[in-house]
Amino acid sequence: MNIQRISAIFEKDIKDFMKNMMLLTMPIIPVVLALIYDRMGDGEELPLMLIYLIVGVTFSAVTASCMMTMMAEENEKKTLRGLILSPASFFDIIIGKSLVTGLITMISLAVSLMIIGIEPFLNVQAIIGLILLFLFFLLLGIGIGLFSKSIAATSAYLMPVMFLFGFTPIIYSLGLNEGGMTIAIAETFPIMKAVEAHDNNSWSSIGIIALWVVGAALFMYICFKKTATDD
Amino acid sequence: MAPFKLDLKMINSEILPSFSLTIEDSYITTIYSDTDMQGELVQALQNNGSMTVFDQQDGLYKRLTVRSNIAFYRKWFGCQTPLAEILVLFELHTYATVPLHKCSEFEIRRVYYAKYFMSGVYPMIFQEPIHGADIRTINTFINMLQKLTDNNTPVLVIVSNMEHALLLGDVAYKLQEKGLHQIEIDNEDNDTTETETSTLATKNLFKIPAKVDDKVILFDPPEIDYIESQGGKAMIVINGESYAMDSTLTEIEKKLEIYGFYRCHRSYIVNLQKVREIITWSKNTYSLRIDNQIQSTIPLSRTKIQDIQEKFSLK
Repeated sequence: MNIQRISAIFEKDIKDFMKNMMLLTMPIIPVVLALIYDRMGDGEELPLMLIYLIVGVTFSAVTASCMMTMMAEENEKKTLRGLILSPASFFDIIIGKSLVTGLITMISLAVSLMIIGIEPFLNVQAIIGLILLFLFFLLLGIGIGLFSKSIAATSAYLMPVMFLFGFTPIIYSLGLNEGGMTIAIAETFPIMKAVEAHDNNSWSSIGIIALWVVGAALFMYICFKKTATDD
Repeated sequence: MAPFKLDLKMINSEILPSFSLTIEDSYITTIYSDTDMQGELVQALQNNGSMTVFDQQDGLYKRLTVRSNIAFYRKWFGCQTPLAEILVLFELHTYATVPLHKCSEFEIRRVYYAKYFMSGVYPMIFQEPIHGADIRTINTFINMLQKLTDNNTPVLVIVSNMEHALLLGDVAYKLQEKGLHQIEIDNEDNDTTETETSTLATKNLFKIPAKVDDKVILFDPPEIDYIESQGGKAMIVINGESYAMDSTLTEIEKKLEIYGFYRCHRSYIVNLQKVREIITWSKNTYSLRIDNQIQSTIPLSRTKIQDIQEKFSLK
């Protein structure tokens, strides 16, 4: 790990982010969504499910999408060639980009939560839940970014990530049987577990999210091994 | 840094001969070959030697400005040279705030040079660095090579154009199926002890014969652009097309002198009537630009510059 290289990547990607319309519009989505829900709520407090929908949208549309788009662009435009002198420098690139993604996510999430009221999030479990969720989506984004060769491909990969993991709370509005299989499976998904942890301050739910993070880390590791042997 | 030993003995290639070559750190080495051979050579360097070849096929950050690009690569590669100095060295200081996608191909090429210069790779291998570049860009490249030799970095330049090989290299090699051979560059014309036997023929000569397949074509001396030596044989070049002659350069030089031809380099005779421009590169090297459709340039020896200036009454 080389601090100078990480900061070089960080500075470059922040500059590049500011000039990239595709990335720049992403953090606006959750903010707009928060505004709409806030209006619809007529000043009443929003149900927890809707709040976590916004959280899910932020993490999937900002964290995962920014990460994979940035990595796919480097792949597509062949800018990675010539930068990677050793496997160590590759991690510098990923860390630098993760810092950029983290910063953008934080801004976007903070603004949207301010709009709908940040008070419900001021407890330990909720904050740990959010951090774990961020890691989960970040690792997922890195993993997909590693093997997608073009920006166009990332839009396709982003869809399942968004609908499965980002929009999970929507499942209740689909009119499915409460005790059914689908709901039972959906309730083990990270966003739903975060809602649970938030609701009754349970540490076991946090543990399950942590398991999801480990899973995402494994997924990223497999993707990394695969791309490393491909070359 | 020390000289770099390039060993390509273990490769199994259909057309690439095995050879070993020491790339010195005190002067520039160039290898001239045809494009097929060049492809094989680059492949061999990348796969067998796992060396980085600078071919300008890698990407740059098009949305960012020239300065941001250079600043990023400088920090990434940990280059010690100040940013401003790099910008000036590659004549990019006037474009520092222009985004790359608005730059011309020559400015982008100079950004590539800067990137490669800062990468600190050892040894540095360039593939076709100045192909299609303008004079200013070529000059920055020559300056960069100078800097690299000052820092004792071994440099190898691979080109498919004899003029480029002679312009860039202090020592130029020619790579053929037969192997690697040095092209003699400088011009101690010591072997011009010619036996004057065909004086009678010279006086009656109006046409220059060249062979194409089985036919013999006769050229008027004024239509010839220049004559170059390729593997000991003289080749007449007219608008980029080459025609083989049976005689050597030294024989034909004598015959063509009266038509205003001049031996401007060990392997070149130029038709002075067709010279459009004398290009002065940095580090005291010269080229002649020919007034034909493809604007060919041919090398002019350092020692002949005086002579040519006298011929054109420039002094």
